[in-house]
Amino acid sequence: MESGQHMLRTGRRGTLFEFSMALRDLVTSYHRRGLAWSLAWHDVVSRYRGSILGPFWITISMGLMVLGIGLLYAKLFGISVAEFMPYVAMGIVFFGLMAGTINEGCDTFVQASSMLSQTSLPMFTFIWRTVLRNLINLAHHAVIIVAVIIFFGLWRVMDVLPALGGLLLTIVNLAWIAMLAAIASARFRDIPQFVMSVMQFAIFMTPVFWKPDAFPDRHAFLTLNPFYHMLTTIRAPLLGQEADGLSYIILAIMAVLGWALTFSVFAITRRRIVHFL
Amino acid sequence: MTDVSIKVTDLTLRFPVYGVDAKSLKKNLARVTVGGRLGASTTGATEVTALSHLNLNLRAGDRLGLIGHNGSGKTTLLRALSGAYEPDEGQIEVRGRIAALLDLSLGIDPSATGVDNIRLRGRIAGMSSKEIEDKMDEIAEFSGLGPFLAMPMKTYSAGMQARLAFAVATAVEADVLLMDEWISVGDADFQKLAHRRLLNLVERAGILVLSSHDAGLLRLYCNKVMRLEGGVASEVKDIRRLDELLAAA
Repeated sequence: MESGQHMLRTGRRGTLFEFSMALRDLVTSYHRRGLAWSLAWHDVVSRYRGSILGPFWITISMGLMVLGIGLLYAKLFGISVAEFMPYVAMGIVFFGLMAGTINEGCDTFVQASSMLSQTSLPMFTFIWRTVLRNLINLAHHAVIIVAVIIFFGLWRVMDVLPALGGLLLTIVNLAWIAMLAAIASARFRDIPQFVMSVMQFAIFMTPVFWKPDAFPDRHAFLTLNPFYHMLTTIRAPLLGQEADGLSYIILAIMAVLGWALTFSVFAITRRRIVHFL
Repeated sequence: MTDVSIKVTDLTLRFPVYGVDAKSLKKNLARVTVGGRLGASTTGATEVTALSHLNLNLRAGDRLGLIGHNGSGKTTLLRALSGAYEPDEGQIEVRGRIAALLDLSLGIDPSATGVDNIRLRGRIAGMSSKEIEDKMDEIAEFSGLGPFLAMPMKTYSAGMQARLAFAVATAVEADVLLMDEWISVGDADFQKLAHRRLLNLVERAGILVLSSHDAGLLRLYCNKVMRLEGGVASEVKDIRRLDELLAAA
C-alpha cells in the first residue's frame, strides 16, 4: 500500500484505521531499516568528528570508573577484586546502554523535527536510530567486557546464550520505553528532565555498584525494579551464575505490555506528533 | 511512469498550536487537580485551520504555481503533499515518487563534508547506498562544487549549499517535485542548469508544484496556477490568467 510510488493520506477513520496506519509506519520503517542504520551511524561519526579516539573516549572514562570503583568498593565491601571488578564492569557498561537509550529516547522526535515536518519518513525509523546508535556505542564499550572476561578468566564459566537472551529482552524493552519517552517529550518539554532524574536515581537503586546479597531472594525492592531484571539477565550468565527465571518472565511480560501500551499511544497520537514539535 | 498524479479531495488541515505554556507538564497536572474548572480547553491547544476543503487534481505534465500571501497555506499544502502532515479531513493521494525541496538545510550536517551530506540526504530522500554511489559522479558534476565536496558543508556559501541540495534532490528519479520558493538562490550559471534540469523533469512526465511570490518565475516554470487565501484555494487556472488571480487580491 505504501511504497515509494504511491502515497495515500486520509483523515481519521476510526480507531482501527489509526492502528493500521501505525502498523504501516512500523512496516515501512522495517523496509527502510538501512536509513535508520545510516542515520545512527552518521550520528556517532558526526558527534566525534575530528576526535581521534571518538566513542572510545566514553569507553576510557567508563574503564576508569570500573577500575576505580572495582578496586575501591572491593576493599570497602571486603569482596575480592576478581569477583567484584567484572561485576561492576558489566554493571556500568550495560546500565550505560539502558540510561543512554532512555535518555536519548526523549530527544528522538524533537531532534528530528525538521525531517518529520517535511518528509513522509516513518516515525519508527527515528526510534530505531536512537536504539541503534546506543548499540553502536555499546559495541565500543564491549571492549571493557571482553577485557574483564579474558583477564579474570570468565570465559571458562560464562554462559553466553542466556546473556544474549537477556540482552535481547532488554533491548526490546528499552525500545518501547524510548518511544514512549519520545512521544511524551515531544508534547511535554518537562519529560526529558524528569526522565534524566529518574535514571540518575535508578543507577543507585539498581545493583550496578553493589551486590544485592543484603536482600533476601526476590525481595520487592529488587523485583519491582525493571532495571534490576534487565541487568541481572545479562550479567549473571556472563559471570557464570544463573539468573532467576522469574527475571526473564518479568522482562517478557513487560515487553508485551509495554509495547501494547506504547503502540496504542502511538496510534492515537501519531497524526499529532509532528504538530507537537 | 505514465500515471503520475496528485489527487486531493476535500482536504482540511488544522494546526493545533500548543502554546509554550501548554507544553509544561505542570500546567496539565494543575488542570487535573482543579477538576476542569478551566473550561472547555481540554487539550490546551488552539486550532488554526491552515487549509480548508481544498480540492486539487494534477496529472503528468502539470506544473502548478501556488500563490498567496504569507501564511495563506502554501507551505502547509506542500508539506501535506510530501506526506508529512496528515489530513484532518479529506484525502491526499499521490502516485509517483515524491521529491520535496522545501528546506535546503534538511538533513544537512554542517560539519560533515559535501560528499557525506550527499549520502545522507540521498538516504533520506529514499535512495539506497548503491543508487547514491552510482549517481555520485553525476551529482558531484551537476553541483559544480568540484574539490569543495571534500570540504565541510559549513564552509559553503548559501548558493553552494543550494547547488548541492538541488543536485541531490533532483538526482532522485522523482515524478513529483515539490518546491518552496527557493529556486532564486544560486548564481546565473546555476539558474540555467537548474532550469534545464527542471524542464527535463517535466519532460519525463512529472509534476511540479512550486510555491512562489515571483510572477516572472511562475510564468517561466508553470503552466497552471492556484491562489490560496486563508487556507481556501481558488480554482486552478491557466498560467496566462495569472494576472487575474493576482488582481483578485
